[in-house]
This record gives sequence, structure tokens and C-alpha cells, in this order.
Amino acid sequence: MAALPSMRPLGCLRSLIGLQDAVQPQITRRFISTAYSPKPKRVPLPPNLPQQFLSQLPERLQPREDSKRVKVYPAPPSTRKVCKDPIAKVTESQMAIHDPKGERKALFDYRRNPRSVKPGDILRVTFKNGDPFNGVALSIKLRGIDTSVLLRNELTRVAVEMSVKVFSPNVQSVEIVQRAERPARRARLYFMRSRKHDRRSVENLVGAYIRQKRAFLGGNRRK
Amino acid sequence: MPLRLPGGLSQLSSSLWESQSLLPLVQSRQFGIKALTTPKPSRFSIGPGLPVLESTSTAALRRKAYTLPLRSGAIATKKGMTAIFDPESGKRIPCTVLQLDRVEVISHKTRQKHGYFAVQVGAGWKHPKNVTKPMLGHFSVNGVSPKRHLYEFRVKGEEGLPPVGSSIGANWFQLGQFVDARSNSKGKGFAGVMKRHGFHGQDRSHGVSLTHRSLGSAGPSQGGGSRVYPGKKMAGNMGNEQNTVQNLKVLQVDAEAGIVVVNGSISGPKGCTVRIQDAIKKPWPEVKAEAEPVAEVEATATA
Repeated sequence: MAALPSMRPLGCLRSLIGLQDAVQPQITRRFISTAYSPKPKRVPLPPNLPQQFLSQLPERLQPREDSKRVKVYPAPPSTRKVCKDPIAKVTESQMAIHDPKGERKALFDYRRNPRSVKPGDILRVTFKNGDPFNGVALSIKLRGIDTSVLLRNELTRVAVEMSVKVFSPNVQSVEIVQRAERPARRARLYFMRSRKHDRRSVENLVGAYIRQKRAFLGGNRRK
Repeated sequence: MPLRLPGGLSQLSSSLWESQSLLPLVQSRQFGIKALTTPKPSRFSIGPGLPVLESTSTAALRRKAYTLPLRSGAIATKKGMTAIFDPESGKRIPCTVLQLDRVEVISHKTRQKHGYFAVQVGAGWKHPKNVTKPMLGHFSVNGVSPKRHLYEFRVKGEEGLPPVGSSIGANWFQLGQFVDARSNSKGKGFAGVMKRHGFHGQDRSHGVSLTHRSLGSAGPSQGGGSRVYPGKKMAGNMGNEQNTVQNLKVLQVDAEAGIVVVNGSISGPKGCTVRIQDAIKKPWPEVKAEAEPVAEVEATATA
């Protein structure tokens, strides 16, 4: 309940004092927290300070020794700089053993070499154990030492597919029997598995090729 | 109620009490339940020919001695997989390529101080700015550069502790020897029970709604205690857990490039950290003199 002026006749005096306070500018009011005080400069220690007084100083003022800093030792030479791509190095060492002249690599590098094997070509692969395999190249996977070609043929009226690792030491030779009539428009000719586009057996073509080669070489059994 | 001496004693004269206290044994009253017969020694834990107690740390180390490798392992990075053709048989051998980078012995764990023998090995390099001060001090005390990876390899005895600061190169491993490789598998994130534990899920139809890939029941009802038993297989985080592949043959070693090629696959993505150590299920390899760690770092530290 607000006091009525009639109840407190001297109350008007109080309002006058309060008004004076309010009129005073706020700027003059300052608190300790806002007062600016510059950072005190570090006072240099007196020269020739006896050693026993040093312990009386706070720790931050005590003369710092360099031995407090942790010594970091240099790293030994890195093997990662010697060999940045170990996979490539291992692959290269394998290629040097199994394909020293780089012929096999060029034969299947269909992205760069225009004379290479291309999808759709008919190949004849001879293995070390004597069994040849003929077929249409459906796809060529270029994976370094794991490069392989997928061959499709029909043996005894059964469709057969064989993936041949071309750098395998078991692969003796790879011959191109017949190039594709026109270059295939895709890299993987998996549509040839459908009945409509199946090439069926390529044995007739390969047989003709072998006979032609024999005649050319003068009946020699040499390949 | 405090225990009191029998009333008769308090009435004794002081001189008699003093003379009695000089006697070695004072007959005093017994409280509590008293056995009528003397306790018999247990018939199980007495007698000659009993086995020595096997719950000591010494006994634990003795049990472990047969399976602990004789020498330390190394920290490597998985670089990826490729294949090697065996020239004789023409067989293709799938292999994993690992690279060792600046692998060094950081410190030792000894039986006397820590209770077991182990070699703390570090690999790679970490900028000193990014290393915490306690770790920086640890590296500094042992005179090695800050390392990216730190692991311990337990060894059988003191003979398996190479000098601190010596480097472990790829030629630490010999051609044809077998190693165990441990690394974290690929993380699969939060996976359901079908993917994580191979559950069969539930029917596509027959009244099943919205729970085609979930688990069936989490356990029995009131008869089983109305609770889910600990270890119940449920959905959760899959992968990114340590896996050890044992008995991998070392196919190639290149000390200069730090390459170790091992047969077969190793858990984890490319670039993951792999710890390789002599296989515990094969005879220990005969260590050659050249495979000894090279103590060249100590020379440079003192220079």
C-alpha cells in the first residue's frame, strides 16, 4: 500500500533528493572491474642476487632454466618417403618376373594400345599343361598383376566361361584368332550371354585359323 | 554391559593381586561358545605331495611362458592386397602388403617393476605440437622422437627386450616365417541382428507387420525370470573390433622400403594399423644376427 503524502508530510523531501541522484550522469560512476590498469612490467631482478634468496621469490619470477623445456629428438628417416606406393612396387617386381619384356601387358592394355586385345575378339590361350582354351573375350579386367580376361565358348553344346589370369606362369601363349568385325561399343559384353546375342561355339573359326597357320608355316608343328 | 572381573578378585588385597600379576598365565574366565573338542585339521589341505598354490603371479607367468613369443613384434600399416605367382607351381597366392615406418623400441616393461616382460614399440611420427606434455617427456627420457602409434608386445623373458631406441625394420621378419597379425576390423556402424549375428529375420507376410528384419523373442517369460539374459544377441555396433589372423606366411621382405608381404588377408581397411608378431602356433623362427635391431638412434642422440 503506497503511503499517501498526507500521511508522510516530509516524504516530498525524499523525492527531491532522489531526483538529484538520478540527474547525475552515469558516466562518472566507475567500478573497479572496469578501471583500466596496465599490466605491470616485469621488474628485473637485482644483479648479483644471492642464491638463497631465489627460493623466496614466487615461481613465475624465478629465473627460468632452459633444462625445463622437454627435449624433442629428431625422427629417423622414413620408409614412406623411400617407397610411397608399396603395392605398385610389389606388382612391378612380379611383372619383372612374369612379363620381363612387357609384351603381355601391351597385349591386354586395351585402353592405351590400339593393337591390343579388345572385348569381342576371339582368343586362343595355351596353357603349360597343354590344354588350350578358345573363346570370345567378354571383358578384360586391368588390375596390374591380377589382369584377367573372361573367355566364353561352347563345349559339347554347353556354354563355358573361363577367366584367365594373363600374367600367370601357367599361361604359355595368347593368340588373337579373329578381331571383332567392328569395335564393341561397351567394355563388358555380358549381353552375349543372352540367347539372342550368343556367339555359340567358336571352335570352327579356331580350327580354320590353325589350319591356315600350319599352311603358312609350311606344315611345321612349330607354333 | 562392560565385562567385569569376578567379585572375588576385587576383594583380594593389593599385595596378593600384584604377586598374581607376575605369574605368566592368569586363569581367566572364557566367554562365548566353547568347543568341547579341539578343532580337527582339514583332511583336504594337509599332507605331502600336494600341488603348489597356482594363484600367484609367478605361477601365472609360468603358465603363459609356453605361448609368449621370444621376441618383440612390429607395428605396420596395411597398404592393400595384391597377388604373387608361385614360379614353380604357377599358383596365384593372394597377399597383403604391409609397410613398417620408423618402428622403434620406446621402453621396456619388466617383471620386477611392472610384473611382466614387454616391449613398448612406437611407429610413425607425430608433430611435437600435437603430443601431450607427459607423452613428450616419455619420448624424451627414452631418447626417441614422438611417435604416432604406441603398442606393447609381450615377450617371454628379459632376452626378448631389445635396447631402447633401437629400430625394428622389415628384416626383423624372415622370409618364410609365420606371423600373427592383429588389427581392428572394418567398422559397420549400428547394425541390425540379421547383419550382425546372422539371424534369419521374420516372414515377409503371414501377418508380420513392420518387424521383418528384427529378432523374434528376447527370452523366456515368467519361467525364465522375466528378464533378458546377459549376452543376448541384439542390434548394436558392428565391426571396428580387434581381430587376430594367425599363421600368415611372410612372402617378401624389403628392408629398404619397409615392406613385408604376408600371405592372405588381414582385418581392417587400407591404411589401418596392424601389429605383427611371430606366430604362437608355429615354431619360433631362428633369429639371424642381421635381424638384430639396429642401435643407431642412440649414437645420433648423443652426438
